[in-house]
Amino acid sequence: MTQSSETLLEKERAKRRRERFAIGIVAVLIAGLTFLEANLAALGGSVAFTSNIVIFALININVVLIVLLIYLVTRNVFKLILDRKRNILGAKIRSRLVLIFIGFSLVPTILLFVAAANITTTSIKSWIGGRVGVALTGALEMARGKLEQEANRLTGIAGDAALRFPRGASIGEAVEILGTAREKLPAGTVLMLADAKGIIASSGETPQGVPAEILSRLKGMKFTEKDDVSATLVGDIFASSVRKLPDGRLLIAVKTLPSGEANSIREIAKAYDEYHQVRLLDDPIRASYIAVLILITLLIVFAASWMGIYLAKQITVPVQLLAEGTEKVARGDLDVRLDYRSDDEFGHLVSSFNRMTGDLKEMKRNLEEANVSLSSTFEELRRRTQFIEAILTNISTGVIVIDRHNRIAMINKVAEKLLSIKTEKVLGKPYKEVIREEHFEAIRALSREVGEGAGRQVERQIDLPLGGKKISLRVSVTVLNGGAGEYLGLVVAFDDLSQAMRLQKVLAWREVARRIAHEIRNPLTPIQLSTERMQKKYSAAHEGDAAFAECTQTILSEVATLKHLVEEFTRFARMPAPVFKEGDLSEELRSVVETYRAAHPGVSWEIETEAIPHAWFDPFQLRRALTNLLENAAAALGGKGAVRVGCVHEPELGRVRISVADDGPGIHPEDRERLFEPYFSRKAGGTGLGLAIVSAVASDHGGTVRARDNEPRGAVFEMEFPIGPKGRG
Amino acid sequence: MRRIAVSSFILAVLLAASVSAASPKPEIVGIGGQVRGREARVKFTLQNAFTPEMVEALKSGIEISFKTVVRVERVHHGWFNTTLGEIKFSRSVKYDVLARVYRLNREGQEDLLPDIHAALAGMTRYEVAVPVFIDAESGKTYRAYVRIRLDRVGLSEPLRSIFFISSLWDVETDWARGYLTAP
Repeated sequence: MTQSSETLLEKERAKRRRERFAIGIVAVLIAGLTFLEANLAALGGSVAFTSNIVIFALININVVLIVLLIYLVTRNVFKLILDRKRNILGAKIRSRLVLIFIGFSLVPTILLFVAAANITTTSIKSWIGGRVGVALTGALEMARGKLEQEANRLTGIAGDAALRFPRGASIGEAVEILGTAREKLPAGTVLMLADAKGIIASSGETPQGVPAEILSRLKGMKFTEKDDVSATLVGDIFASSVRKLPDGRLLIAVKTLPSGEANSIREIAKAYDEYHQVRLLDDPIRASYIAVLILITLLIVFAASWMGIYLAKQITVPVQLLAEGTEKVARGDLDVRLDYRSDDEFGHLVSSFNRMTGDLKEMKRNLEEANVSLSSTFEELRRRTQFIEAILTNISTGVIVIDRHNRIAMINKVAEKLLSIKTEKVLGKPYKEVIREEHFEAIRALSREVGEGAGRQVERQIDLPLGGKKISLRVSVTVLNGGAGEYLGLVVAFDDLSQAMRLQKVLAWREVARRIAHEIRNPLTPIQLSTERMQKKYSAAHEGDAAFAECTQTILSEVATLKHLVEEFTRFARMPAPVFKEGDLSEELRSVVETYRAAHPGVSWEIETEAIPHAWFDPFQLRRALTNLLENAAAALGGKGAVRVGCVHEPELGRVRISVADDGPGIHPEDRERLFEPYFSRKAGGTGLGLAIVSAVASDHGGTVRARDNEPRGAVFEMEFPIGPKGRG
Repeated sequence: MRRIAVSSFILAVLLAASVSAASPKPEIVGIGGQVRGREARVKFTLQNAFTPEMVEALKSGIEISFKTVVRVERVHHGWFNTTLGEIKFSRSVKYDVLARVYRLNREGQEDLLPDIHAALAGMTRYEVAVPVFIDAESGKTYRAYVRIRLDRVGLSEPLRSIFFISSLWDVETDWARGYLTAP
């Protein structure tokens, strides 16, 4: 099982657990509410409203609503919590809005519910428990009393009429008697004679329905008098008195009330009925009102919750879309288009967002095009700069660029090396701060001379003391001007003339040596031959003459010396052109050093070479130059000391540098300028041509040679030349 | 969790059942009568219909009405029974507070009864004639089915509005049956 499937399974289990939990809560609630419903009967009073369908329906609707509400609220709360945990955009604002809506609806609704329930209960209590019942009962009793008074008065009328009825009077006699009595009857009063079958005669028009009701009520009725001959009956619209005749028939006197009075009494009776009904149904009515109020409250809360969720969605959906869109835009996706249409401010906002992303995309496209163009231009500039830098780096001329503010803008490697300055320390600084005091006059003279005239250039040869020696420089100062003629700065270019001058001297000395050798060599042989002849011819004659022998010998010896000198001169004057080959310079050095290690065991010979690529050089000349350097070092040490030979490659300059350092007495400062001049030597018997040859070899290799003090003591000779084939030139 | 939920549900059901069983259920007893010609006369009595609360409500002027269905069948052994006739009628009673009588309305005829006992007897003792569409055959088996339910309680209009429907008590019998003789 993979990790993702395990995660899904775990999520599914968690979901099931939550569902079981929710169902359990709902079940407990249902059980509790059912128990409550059942016990409402005991709480509700005398009416058995447990069987009331309406009450049950209301309660059950409430229960369903409560459960539904709990389910929805719980579901939404869980969803919101999950969304918040997952950091889903819009979850926080949605939860806040829902809580605010529920809170705002719940508080006033509950207050309203409490107030309404209180008012309803109080109103019902005052309605039922007040004086309404007493008043209604009094009104009813009054109405009934009036009817009974009428009935009692009718008892006399009926009694008088009964006295007129002979026993067994016929219907005709009865009609006549009743007709006679009618004139004496009060208004609205009717006398009727009835037997078991119904009314058989009357004194006038009988009120509709009244006789039937009277006869119905008389069934099985016991009369009130002792002789059981009379009884009174009242109804809602009549009062009557019944007289039982001796023959068993009934004489009924009825007075019907005027319609106004009858209606009033009916209304009183109806109000009395309703009052008692309400009183009887006090608890169900109150419960129903409360239930209705609860229902309304729940509906309000339910509606408010849904409204909150709906409004929150209305707000958060576009906000969420905008947030996601912004996130995508932040990640660089400018193809985002939000699909949300509405006429409200959110719709405008989304529309603006879509327009913005479109504009951004267009701008990005333009920028990319501009960037491509700029990149191309930059690449071209970079190439040119690199080319210029390569030129400046590889040329043997030192270059310093000074900007319009007289600050050093650029220094190439040659200048850096020649002037022994560090670029990073002087770059951006005013050149006047960088210039050494001893150089200041020379530079100021040059700058004064060049002025700021457009295109002006001054070229001078100056001698500058540097590092304890004087170097000759050919300095060229050029004023830089822009396209519009504005002053941009100065370009100072300088060449080290020391090497050239040295080379010129060497060449001059070579010519001198050649001529001297030529002029001296010719007379030497006759002098030698003549001297030898003199020795042969006059040795016998001057036998015992020490002066003769000494003089001739001196002549011969000096001639030999001169011949050797001439030989050296000739060799110096006739140095062959170098033959360059590609080879391992380190190996060449090592070979020479090994030769001297054996010859001078008292000296410590060390060699330090790094991984140097193959170089182009003349092995013969190089060995000759190295031999001279090592010979000088060994001579300076006097057979005891240390010599360290090193070779390093400088890729930036494309050159190799061979150094021979010793810890001998070092170079005398006065000799420093003349070290590489021919025939300058502090050694007894030295020709002064060794270092001149080294200089010539270095020059033939396109390089230079220089000497400096070693630290803490001794001297260092460094020969430097290009590593590549171009060094041949 | 599940055990708690199930236990709670069972408890709730038991409570509801015990509550419903607390008061005696209305029932029809003593169904009997004769089928003669094209008429069946059916007698029966309604028991346990009036709870003390209903009697109190009746005394307070609330009208109580029962709707009754009487069906007469010819019983065929081993075959489907045949319905021969059926009638539906209402019977109501209301206390007249002014006249102080109980107005018992039986099949369109009003009786004014002086006391509650007579009124209750009038509402619970029945003898009705059910027309049948074929002549009764002597010696055959006939059976009457009777069911009574509370029709409506005569509440005033405001109370009807409050309660949506007028019934306050759930009086409804099961179908009761009894054999009729066919002489």
